[in-house]
Amino acid sequence: MLRRAARSLRENLYLNAMAMMVIAASLLLVGTFLLALVNIQSVVDSWNRDIHISAYFDEGVEIERRFVVKDRIAGIDGVEAVSYISEEDAGIYLKEKIPEMEAVLAELGDDVLPASLEITLKDSHTAPEDIARIGGQIQGTDFEEVDFGQEWVQRFSTFISLIQLLGFAMGVLIFVAGVFLVGNTMHLVTYTRRAELETMKLVGATWWFIAVPFLIEGLVQGLIGSLIAVFILAVLHSLMSNHLQEYLQLAILGDTLAFLPGGWLLLLVLGGVVLGCCGSILSVRRFWTASA
Amino acid sequence: MIRLYHVFKTYGDKHALRDIELRVAKGEFVYITGHSGAGKSTLLKMLYGAEKPTSGKLLVGGVDASKLSGKKLPYLRRNIGIVFQDFKLIPTRSVADNIGLCLEVLGVPREMIDRRVKAVLNTVGLAGREDSFPLDLSGGEQQRVAVARAIVNDPAILLADEPTGNLDGAMAIEVMEILKAVNLRGATVLIATHDAGLMDRFPHRRIRFEKGRIVSDA
Repeated sequence: MLRRAARSLRENLYLNAMAMMVIAASLLLVGTFLLALVNIQSVVDSWNRDIHISAYFDEGVEIERRFVVKDRIAGIDGVEAVSYISEEDAGIYLKEKIPEMEAVLAELGDDVLPASLEITLKDSHTAPEDIARIGGQIQGTDFEEVDFGQEWVQRFSTFISLIQLLGFAMGVLIFVAGVFLVGNTMHLVTYTRRAELETMKLVGATWWFIAVPFLIEGLVQGLIGSLIAVFILAVLHSLMSNHLQEYLQLAILGDTLAFLPGGWLLLLVLGGVVLGCCGSILSVRRFWTASA
Repeated sequence: MIRLYHVFKTYGDKHALRDIELRVAKGEFVYITGHSGAGKSTLLKMLYGAEKPTSGKLLVGGVDASKLSGKKLPYLRRNIGIVFQDFKLIPTRSVADNIGLCLEVLGVPREMIDRRVKAVLNTVGLAGREDSFPLDLSGGEQQRVAVARAIVNDPAILLADEPTGNLDGAMAIEVMEILKAVNLRGATVLIATHDAGLMDRFPHRRIRFEKGRIVSDA
């Protein structure tokens, strides 16, 4: 079986190479999408880990009262830390982030911004229901506004879940298209060997005797095709990491571009092998049912 | 060995075989004769499972070939040697590989395949030609390789569809001598042919077909 598979790979090098390229292209598409998804998910996860609630004091709340409230909030279950931001500190922070605001603040006065408490939650308490509970305990007459930054993170997470679902659907479609493309390429291989295969059938070869060498060919095509895809992905990842480093730090993606984890890579390679095998089986089945 | 009971074969509204009743005993040598389109090839195709009867029963070596599933068909074919008019040799494989294919599908070890291929090439008068390729051989030699492939696994039944159709007189006689020898060793041989000269030279039972019916059996 191995001998026959090796001979067929040698004798149909061009067609087998085409099948490998089809597999590589299909997996490259899927892999690129996965890479984007992994990095975006990583960012969303980091945002979820660093949840802040900003509670802005009402204008009339005295300084002593502010620290009493701070201590009360620090004692709430799920709160990691509480920082007091005075009006002056708020002004300094704003000027640092947006230098253009300096002139505006100079005209309005340093105490135009309200004092606030920055409340950092524990990692174990970042679920929406925890946010809502803690937020409810924080809200009161001392605060003009309590800002739940988590809301938009949650909406973004929902958006990411939708993208994941679409990505999964797209992956399935690409896989199915890949099976037919590889199957058609392998059909050309079975077509060029039809005289041999028909003779094999006439002398009593079973379906498995004929199919197994093609399965082995499909396995080899899938393995090599998927390794090509992984290699190209790695090169693309390296290029993007090197050339977009400064942009990554400024943008929302964080400091570095992550590569696919080992588990995903293995799944990609396995997907390629399955793609190659399915394409081969499809072509052999077509030949078997069409011949005498 | 071969038994047909009221076998019909139709393609659309064309009757290829009509109400065929036939018995061929073990070890017989039989000619299936008639003009083109009489039903000779259709009969042979049914015997090796390439076609199924539209109705009727067909027993080959005790197996009901009319009801055989696709999965079981290879096992029927392993007991039947088939020789075709166009040889059906694989041009990209050597003579030894072409002949050995029958044994390869049976899972016979490589060393035994090589021994039996050599022995059968001796039988058909092509000793030493294992490494030749079909296109290097004459028509008569190619047909002898096809016969060698058909007999290498000692089949109980040998079917030949116009085996001398593409051969000249001398080569045709050579091939017939080989088929005769195979029959003498115990195989049941059925040859579809319309070569009357050959049938006169090697007289055996003749079953004549006309428009899908048996018109004589002597």
